[in-house]
Amino acid sequence: MMESYRQTGDNELIKASIEGDRLAFEEIVNRYQKMVARTVKGMLGDSAFAEDIGQEVFIKLYYSLSEFRGEAKLSTYIQKIAINLTLNEIKRRKRFFSMFSQKGDDEVYKYDIPDEDNEVKRDASEIVNKALMSLDPKFRIIVAMRMLHGYSTRETAYILDLPLGTVLSRLSRAQEQLKGILEKL
Amino acid sequence: MKPSEIKKLLIDSLSTDNDPAEAARQLQDAGLSYDFSREFSARVTDKLFSASSAVIRHVEFVRSMNYAFSRIALTGAAAIVLLLISIFIMEGSFSLNSILGLSDSIDESIICLLTGN
Repeated sequence: MMESYRQTGDNELIKASIEGDRLAFEEIVNRYQKMVARTVKGMLGDSAFAEDIGQEVFIKLYYSLSEFRGEAKLSTYIQKIAINLTLNEIKRRKRFFSMFSQKGDDEVYKYDIPDEDNEVKRDASEIVNKALMSLDPKFRIIVAMRMLHGYSTRETAYILDLPLGTVLSRLSRAQEQLKGILEKL
Repeated sequence: MKPSEIKKLLIDSLSTDNDPAEAARQLQDAGLSYDFSREFSARVTDKLFSASSAVIRHVEFVRSMNYAFSRIALTGAAAIVLLLISIFIMEGSFSLNSILGLSDSIDESIICLLTGN
């Protein structure tokens, strides 16, 4: 039964899911979970907590499927939900940390950057995660969209509901900030 | 890929002159991957569909209670009307004593019992 949905288009899967077909919705989850993982884990770091947000993304998607008009691609729709929930989580953490920590807002997300001579094995995931987590959240989302998903500036602007000029200027500032961060890694 | 090459790739991926899709693909080839746990989709659907069935069970219970209540309420109301009619026929009034099935002589008997006279 599951095999039969592998070739099924998104629109058919949506219709079947709305009618309560569990396997159809499971196929949607299987199809887009990597994309959601890139967004959520790229923004929040690799933790079990990020997985909870990932689950929330698909639960929210399920309950809003009937509102999906098909004007945008399903992947874009899911991406928007993932970004909104992730940004909400970042704001929630920021509020929490600002209540219990003496650190400034900008310091809240920063990873402890190891010394240059620290002989820790650094693979691509580790470098990217540390770099992303050290970035200002408003730059982090722009960078994650481009670096992890390969979205163009126009696509990023559309997904984030931001003017193209804002995306371009944040991208440029993010690049400068990233250079400084990567020099220390 | 060496860390220095990865860093260069990261910086270059943000440049508007470069193709972001190509940079993202290269990073994936270098081992950058994000995944949820293997049971992720099963967990999501379990949450969703067990929640749906819980809601359905709750709705069914409330519906059954409403149905049972309407049946009991109608039968009870009919029994009350029949009882009142029978009281009226037997006692000729709807006084408290007649509803409770007491006659006036019982009051006197109680007084006798309590006072001993």
